[in-house]
Amino acid sequence: MTAVDPETRIPDPLDLERLEEDRLRAAAGLAPQKKAAGEYAGFEQVGLPDRPPETERERQLFSLEEGEMLVNMGPQHPSTHGVMRLLVKVRSEVVTDLDVVLGYLHRGIEKLCENATYTTVLTYVDPMDYMSAMHNEHAPALAFEKLYGIEAPMRAQYIRALVVELNRVFSHGLMMGFLALDMGGITPLLYGFINRDEIVDMLSAISGQRMLFNFFRVGGVNFDVNDEFISRLGHWRTRALATVEDNERILTQNEIFTARTKGLGVLSAKDAISLGVSGPNLRASGVALDIRKAHPYPPYDELEFEVITQSGGDTYARYLQRVAEIKQSIHLIDQIVDQMPHGPVQAQVPGIIRPRPGRAYAAVESPRGLYSVYAISDGGPNPYRFRMRDPSFISLQVMPKLMPGHLIADTMAIMASLDPIMGGVDK
Amino acid sequence: MANVRRSRTAAPGLGRRRPLTAPAKAGALVRLLLDRLGSDVHDLWTDEDAVEVQIDGARNVDVLRRLRDDPELGFFFLADAAAVDYGPGVRFEVVYHLYSDRHPAWLRVRAHVSRDDPRLPTVTELWEGAMFHEREMYDMMGIVFEGNRDLRRIYMSPNYRSFPQRKDFILPDDAADSSAAGVNPLERPETWDLRRFSETLAPGASAPADEPVAAAGAAVEAGQTDADKSRPR
Repeated sequence: MTAVDPETRIPDPLDLERLEEDRLRAAAGLAPQKKAAGEYAGFEQVGLPDRPPETERERQLFSLEEGEMLVNMGPQHPSTHGVMRLLVKVRSEVVTDLDVVLGYLHRGIEKLCENATYTTVLTYVDPMDYMSAMHNEHAPALAFEKLYGIEAPMRAQYIRALVVELNRVFSHGLMMGFLALDMGGITPLLYGFINRDEIVDMLSAISGQRMLFNFFRVGGVNFDVNDEFISRLGHWRTRALATVEDNERILTQNEIFTARTKGLGVLSAKDAISLGVSGPNLRASGVALDIRKAHPYPPYDELEFEVITQSGGDTYARYLQRVAEIKQSIHLIDQIVDQMPHGPVQAQVPGIIRPRPGRAYAAVESPRGLYSVYAISDGGPNPYRFRMRDPSFISLQVMPKLMPGHLIADTMAIMASLDPIMGGVDK
Repeated sequence: MANVRRSRTAAPGLGRRRPLTAPAKAGALVRLLLDRLGSDVHDLWTDEDAVEVQIDGARNVDVLRRLRDDPELGFFFLADAAAVDYGPGVRFEVVYHLYSDRHPAWLRVRAHVSRDDPRLPTVTELWEGAMFHEREMYDMMGIVFEGNRDLRRIYMSPNYRSFPQRKDFILPDDAADSSAAGVNPLERPETWDLRRFSETLAPGASAPADEPVAAAGAAVEAGQTDADKSRPR
């Protein structure tokens, strides 16, 4: 990188007055008017915040070398998957460092849940990770059942698994679309939305709502499956694989797509474990950790499936992992529908639940990874402490690890492959 | 939705109580933990799918390193790290949940921290992923992790001063001045003041329930309560 000569004039095309003055000076045979150093190219100090660094890491981030500058992406950026800000340190087009700035969507859901009854907590957690609202409700429901010492009936467990797998299908389907969209392809997103809208209609038939379902209850689910749900499910199932394969046909062998994703943002298994990455991102790095197998919650101990892994650990492997998991989920849905027992869908629990004092931890495998809830009861009607571990929050930590050396245009491709949802990240 | 079938009738096995005893599968893990951690374990409980040990906060790095590196324990994955506030004058707890593929139970490590001087060593040298967990705990609870090289607020803005998830932090919009100490009365059935509601319906009647509320509000305005210190300014 060549040093920028502060004497070099880089005119601002919008600064018409000075341009005109310089034109007159040139006509009179004079040199262009000199400006203060800050008004010139200014590559040396661009983007630094007007406060001193707080920590060692910030000091490292704010110290710019020759030719480096800090660029803010966001907080309102079309492809940051929500309201977040990336503070990117660049040298020309190459990212040398990156910091993730969060909190723009912070609603304090954990604190709100400490003032809500156990039943209403399940409505508060819906808008967290809005792409997988069913999973958001699943972990608290399991944790509260452990606290209260009750088990949901088997049919309710199967209905839970059914809606949760449907949710996973559309979440992963949209990830394929958004990954392509962040690299300039619009069609895969539309294909993803075809699948997604059918599933959302289906879930709205069973729960009554499209996105924030409020379907799970402590001790079961709100409604049994109904005729509309079943008919929509059967209708969708006949074409489910075909729509996914359509999307796959556009992307998997696509030259532009593979050129831009293979070898991009390689995450080693060791780093992934150390950084707490979970779910498809971890399995794409070759670690076979799936909570549905590792600590199976019903009915996954009765279903047949294998943990899928990839070996690459790059953006392409993370994409392939999602495609494989969609097919796996469809396979699981078939099994769930086949094996679903008859019976009630809701255990007998009082309207206001007061568990004995105690602690419970429940983890589920959400489309983004290990989503877990740690709930503490003090015997009252509200959880004393309600802690949610959101997988995309933790996964975002790998961005500073993956980005250095890549082009700034690849920032969004790598981020889309991690598939973070800001509603969950900011809680 | 006329065709919704709701089955809430009682049936055999419905709402079955979970077994209260710990499963035998965790027994091997308990013996192993007692053997390997020795005197670092202050207390030990078993849950239906978790084993819980209580340790001293200052020893967390040492204990967690042994849990991670011991080939028989093998708790290589930090599933969660969260802080719990047990109220003013009691303590903080930093709770680590660990996963091992060798044992069929989660391991929950509860590290006790003094509430007056909430400091404990960072575990980011064991798991880099603990960084965001610790930043969140610092932001929400005000627990300082010594040795963490990036301990700054993660959700709230850098100039924010209080720690919102502490139990003595009163939600500003939740009637901070009320005698109910910041709990929205409508969300706690036992605090429902039915007499007050009926008086609202019959205007003109005196409202004795309002008096302590007003008195508490005056105290807050005069800066006389502890609660006021934790309110955002």
